[in-house]
Amino acid sequence: MSSLLQLEQVRLAGSRRDRLFNLSLRIHRGERVALLGPSGAGKSSLISVINGSLTPHQGTVLWRGKSLRQRTRRQRCEIGTLWQDLRLIEELSVGQNINAGVLGRRGLPWALANLLFTIGAAPCLQCLRQAGLDPQVLAPEGLDRPVQQLSGGQRQRVALARLFRQQPSLLLADEPLASLDPAIAAEVLDRLLEKNADGSLIHGAQAVVVSLHRPDLIHRFDRVLALREGRLRIDAPATAVMPADLEDLYAL
Amino acid sequence: MALPRPSAPALALLPALALLPVLITVVAGLHAGGVEILLTCLAAAVHPSLDPALLTALFSALQVTLAMALAGWSLSLVLGVLLGCCASERLLQTWNWPTWPALILRRSLALPRSVHELIWGLLLLQVLGLHPAVAVAAITIPYAALVARVWRDQLEALDPTRLQALLQGGAPPLAACFTALSPAMGTVLMSYGGYRLECALRSATLLGVFGLGGLGTDLQLSLQSLQFRELWSGLWMLGLLSVALELLLTLWRRQTRKAQAGQRRLCLFLAGVIVAGMAGGLWLQVLLPDSGIVVWQGLALPDWRGLTQAAAELPWLPLIVETLLLTVLAAGIAIGLPPLAMLLAPSRFWQVALNPAWALLRLIPPPLTVLLLLLSNRPTLAIGALALGLHNGGVMGRLLREELEQQSVDQQQAMATSGASARLGWLYGLFTPRSPGYLAYGAYRTDVILRETVVVGLIGGSGLGWQLLESLSSFHWDAVVVLIGAYALITLLGEWLSDQCRTRWLQS
Amino acid sequence: MPSRERGAVALLALLLCQGVSVLPSIAKPALRVGAIPDQNPERLNRLYGQLADELSDRLKVTVRYVPVSNYPAAVSAFRTGGLDLVWFGGLTGVQARLQTSGAKVLAQRDIDARFRSVFIANTSADLQPIQSINGLTSLRGKRFTFGSESSTSGRLMPQHFLAKAGVSPSQFSGGRAGFSGSHDATIALVQSGAYQAGALNEQVWTSALKQGRVNTDKVRVIWRTPEYVDYHWVARPDLDQRFGSGFTTRLQKAILAIQPSTPRQATILELFAAKRFIPAEASQYKPIETVGRQLGKIR
Repeated sequence: MSSLLQLEQVRLAGSRRDRLFNLSLRIHRGERVALLGPSGAGKSSLISVINGSLTPHQGTVLWRGKSLRQRTRRQRCEIGTLWQDLRLIEELSVGQNINAGVLGRRGLPWALANLLFTIGAAPCLQCLRQAGLDPQVLAPEGLDRPVQQLSGGQRQRVALARLFRQQPSLLLADEPLASLDPAIAAEVLDRLLEKNADGSLIHGAQAVVVSLHRPDLIHRFDRVLALREGRLRIDAPATAVMPADLEDLYAL
Repeated sequence: MALPRPSAPALALLPALALLPVLITVVAGLHAGGVEILLTCLAAAVHPSLDPALLTALFSALQVTLAMALAGWSLSLVLGVLLGCCASERLLQTWNWPTWPALILRRSLALPRSVHELIWGLLLLQVLGLHPAVAVAAITIPYAALVARVWRDQLEALDPTRLQALLQGGAPPLAACFTALSPAMGTVLMSYGGYRLECALRSATLLGVFGLGGLGTDLQLSLQSLQFRELWSGLWMLGLLSVALELLLTLWRRQTRKAQAGQRRLCLFLAGVIVAGMAGGLWLQVLLPDSGIVVWQGLALPDWRGLTQAAAELPWLPLIVETLLLTVLAAGIAIGLPPLAMLLAPSRFWQVALNPAWALLRLIPPPLTVLLLLLSNRPTLAIGALALGLHNGGVMGRLLREELEQQSVDQQQAMATSGASARLGWLYGLFTPRSPGYLAYGAYRTDVILRETVVVGLIGGSGLGWQLLESLSSFHWDAVVVLIGAYALITLLGEWLSDQCRTRWLQS
Repeated sequence: MPSRERGAVALLALLLCQGVSVLPSIAKPALRVGAIPDQNPERLNRLYGQLADELSDRLKVTVRYVPVSNYPAAVSAFRTGGLDLVWFGGLTGVQARLQTSGAKVLAQRDIDARFRSVFIANTSADLQPIQSINGLTSLRGKRFTFGSESSTSGRLMPQHFLAKAGVSPSQFSGGRAGFSGSHDATIALVQSGAYQAGALNEQVWTSALKQGRVNTDKVRVIWRTPEYVDYHWVARPDLDQRFGSGFTTRLQKAILAIQPSTPRQATILELFAAKRFIPAEASQYKPIETVGRQLGKIR
């Protein structure tokens, strides 16, 4: 398997929360990676380093073999994030928010048109279905429904639809299950992890990294990365991770 | 530091204590001779002059004032938004540009902001001559700097993560800014921008009082020659115009639920602002056809020796003490009067009846109030403070009303069911939750009042304002420059102080 | 055309309109007449409306009256070319001519060569008529108001005579004199008692008396100042270039030729409270300049 993303000796100094020590890891095409660890272990920091919202103080991040130090727009488009706080634009409609995912591939006129009109309805609806939200529940306004009026689970799906609209090669999700009830959480996880018959992920990305707090779910992933106090403690195939290792991880 | 920190509602009511010394001075200074004139003046309010020739003249003067206000408002909004964007560190960071230009721009915008539009008007009059563009520029310069400050602060106060999310997803900076920021900023633009229009109308009238044309000129001349019925004709016209504008804005602000509709309205609003500017400009050309072109007629720059000499000649201590005293008293009245009036009579009927009173108060330019009060009173600083305080009290009264309308009546009802009197119910249930916001605005209003002391300088020669007008009328440029510098300095200090107060008192 | 493009075209058209409106409007030259606002606006409008018509008929050019509401604004407007011909007071005229080199004094009224101010007092103020200039010392400790800060007859000369008698504004009640803003306002404020005494233009006082606008039970004259020279017509230096050579002379002749022969001319003279206009010289105003410099109003 060729490596999609490679971190070499990444160090991130800062407050206790934002600390990563000499982290080296690779993520390969086709992999579904679970990112585990107690609060403050550096899961969010790692995701931020990968998507570029934090710049490591030392070490390199390579994307398809090229450094990400000066990220191009194209590279940004290829790495998509489902944020823990969703980061939807509250004043805008469902459709506008989903379309915001594709801004990287469109120009300013398209962005302005998106603010003023309902455009690109078909791909929006497709992404919404892909994210597991039946557009029927948005009636009567449909895509024009303001995001403010949605429930927590629905918002999560809209954020997911925006991510799908971006069509990233690497999909990062920062604790996507944190505030969801078990049924919805399981379904969101399905949308992120299920594969087609040919072995490709259903949303079209080449790899997916999901940070979560649920050791019981690791059987659904291919690989487990576990962090504690900024250091990589476990990097193993999901099948090789023993319950004892995980207990150790969360022990005080 | 363990300074006492009174609760916000007490802070908002305490300033009304400034009314005591002012009213005592004013009442003690009342004399019978003037009461008669004052009564004539009040009687003229219900009996304004309806002479067609006068009304035609007033109507065309009103059009000049409105055109000036529209042009100045539109220019200042457009410029202010652009400057505000340039002064925002966040926006510069979005493009990965260095942020020090934003800091420099922000600091340098403090100067145009700290000088009152009247002083800009009188200064520009010297270098540009008597031209309608002078009034437009005089409104535009300080307003643009003010809008820029508010715009920048609002931009910085927005949640930055949404913009970051779009940028991480590969969106180009400009498209990301528009998508992430324009929905929230559009609301700010429409509500704050609408409020600036009323301010612009007030400023245009005030500039007229000092000879820059329009209705203010007519009002001032009518009052100076005691033609009260003509004065009221003009005031009523101005009142009608301002009510009409306010109705228009209220209609405009009615929100729709569709997100695209909000964005389209923003576009329409922007187009409206630009069209208003053009219409104002063209209208002025039509109304005053032979005002000619604007020609810069520079004055010799004062040299250092002249400046130091002028500075040495001025009696600084009394000037500054008087200016500050005037500010403190006027601010006390402006902040304390509206809640006091509403507290004394919390009945619904009275609250509604107060609205036109606030409107009238903020409509009459303070120099006219001073002249009116002087007819029946001795010339004291208290008169100036009362005039300024009432004028700004009109602004604060409207603001308080809007704040209270947003507050739910649940708490007030809860108080009523527990047996509290209507007054206490109002105080604890309605006013208390809203008083921090009201006070924060009061601190900001105090800055405005400090700048505005210049407009009541003409009575009894109080403070820096009078000295400035006197120096202008003597064409003593050295003193003018020194005084404007002093004014700017005090205003900036006051602004800093009021910012400190705001954070200290309201961050609990 | 799709609706979006149509909108863009409309916006562009509006922007172009704005560009055109900023361009200088090419209008016929008009003679802009102004005056210091020393009286009530209705009277000023009537007076200068008539005068503009008269001059327009005589000189065959458009004449427009531009109202100005304060004295320094009139001076600045004259300097910067906003006003071509201005009826200035003594002090403002000198200020304007010092700032505008080449400005010409055209004429004054018959009464201006021998002008006076009057000091008035509220009857309750316990002020007796003053016989000689030294009697002005009785004003010490009283509430006293001038008119406009740049007025010759309402401030400059009264302050000059007060200084001669040894009275400085700091000796008035409150440590300073007030400034009512105009002659009419001075009468009103002294009559009302806001101020105990004040000084104003004698001609305004007389006409107010004639029109019955003064309550003589409440306010009376306590002193007439000695004579001095006051109001005059001043013209900008560039009128000959703009309206043709010899225009300034024609303008001067037109003003001097106003006689009570036609009804309009009679009205003008009546409103000006003059019998006729007479030629005036800049040198006549030297004493005003001296006093102005002494009191810091001319730098």
